[in-house]
Amino acid sequence: MSTPLQVYEPFKAGLPKLGKYWKSLWSRRTFIAEHSKSELREQHYDSVFGQMWLVINPLLLSGVYFILIVIIGGTTDTTRYVHLTGTLFLFYLVSNSLSSGVKSVTSGQRLILNTAFPRIMLPLSSVVIALFKFLPTVIVFIVIKAVVGSPFTIQMLWALPILLITILLALGLAITISCINVYFRDIASFLPYATRTLLYLSPILYEASTLKPGLLFLEYVNPLFPILDSWSSALVYGQSPEISSVLAGLGWATGIFFFGTYFFLSREREFAVRL
Amino acid sequence: MSSLSASSLHKTNEIAVSVRDVSLTYSTTIDRRPTFKVRAKALMRGKKQTRVVNALRNVNLDVEYGHVLGVIGANGAGKSSLMRCIAGILPPTQGRIEVYGSVSTLLALGVGFNPSMSGRDNVYLGGLAAGMTRDEINGHFDEIAAFSELGDAIDAPMRTYSSGMYARLAFSVAATVRPDILIIDEALSTGDAKFKEKSLNRVKELRSDDRALILVSHAMQTLRETCNDVVWLDKGKVISRGEPNQVIDAYQEFLQVGKSAAIDEDV
Repeated sequence: MSTPLQVYEPFKAGLPKLGKYWKSLWSRRTFIAEHSKSELREQHYDSVFGQMWLVINPLLLSGVYFILIVIIGGTTDTTRYVHLTGTLFLFYLVSNSLSSGVKSVTSGQRLILNTAFPRIMLPLSSVVIALFKFLPTVIVFIVIKAVVGSPFTIQMLWALPILLITILLALGLAITISCINVYFRDIASFLPYATRTLLYLSPILYEASTLKPGLLFLEYVNPLFPILDSWSSALVYGQSPEISSVLAGLGWATGIFFFGTYFFLSREREFAVRL
Repeated sequence: MSSLSASSLHKTNEIAVSVRDVSLTYSTTIDRRPTFKVRAKALMRGKKQTRVVNALRNVNLDVEYGHVLGVIGANGAGKSSLMRCIAGILPPTQGRIEVYGSVSTLLALGVGFNPSMSGRDNVYLGGLAAGMTRDEINGHFDEIAAFSELGDAIDAPMRTYSSGMYARLAFSVAATVRPDILIIDEALSTGDAKFKEKSLNRVKELRSDDRALILVSHAMQTLRETCNDVVWLDKGKVISRGEPNQVIDAYQEFLQVGKSAAIDEDV
């Protein structure tokens, strides 16, 4: 067995050695899990009421939109309500990843200044937390779907790859925004407005098929659009989504993930002097 | 990263850390919180938004196995920056650092801790943050709990701890990691006088032929008793290196404070 040798030299902009970086990240997986768990415990999600809140919160959310669409809007189309809840819950997976990811690096200042570890672990942990909060909403959605008599089909399994694409997108966005926040701390203040705008520009309060021709460009400029449309086709209508939509979503998610990761990895070595 | 126990492969006087012509320069924002607003204002007024910090200048240093190197210097001398470079936290802007073995840092106490969780949970959190595995922490949990002298309070949330209790648990977790190269920065100033002595004894226990220790401290008496060598840094440069008493005396003379009791005591 030879002595491990570490060499530290100046770096220009660029990536660290990816194999070594991945190995180091993998060896820290228990810490990522424990760090995420501790954040959840801090928000009381380890208690009975905390876990109940994970279910009650999406129920209340869907209740608000039920009042808006079914009671005030007067629609009798229950599928529209199922579409709204299903897509809204998936949207919140991305939105929660962003809101918890944005400060993940800056709030990890003590760790960054005092320990050598792959910094990408911090936004990664935020997405793990958002995913944990998302899972109970799946149960709520299935109950709502069963209550309104929406069909259950084998095509609903399309939801799994679409969920993976969404996680990849959430990761890419969380990684990118956490890095931007190191240089511009007020980005966190703009974020609620940005996510609210994204909510209205996504097929959640409306369905993609009802969009006016003049607004169809949204399908191409909003990364969440094809994902939510495919999610709705699979989970709400029990149909296979359009392959072009799934591929468009995958393209966006992969692109943002690679861009964000490159941006983050090429910058993370100077985080210690920026915090 | 670090392993719980040193690999016992190293021989005394073998190089553990080699620092060659290392400089560290970085620019930092003048404003404490860099924001769009601040940048936009500075751009409009044509004001400089960053300042350049020369934290280290052409530092050359070797640390051998079996040795304890003390690092002294005034605040802002570059001691912590040098430790962070050796630990791989900050890449140097010039030169090369070679580290032969696993490194563990004790640069600050309670890194990775979450105050809303119990002391017990934080032993795991802090241990994992320091690079230990869950099994290693399980195996040493009783030792950590006993060393911290917290008793039943180990199951209370850490936000209810006094600063001394917090520091004791943090030191106990950190002192369990036994890497090849251990860097300790000002971590001995924990708890009451009795615990200070206990933690100093733990550091002395960690001295061994197959381990290198780098100790950054203002506690001159501790450095005189513990180190084989002391290096004195000032404004990012190595002023001198050598036998502890000589270097410390020269440093104290430089500070024009002499060997006052206040300086010799652990602070």
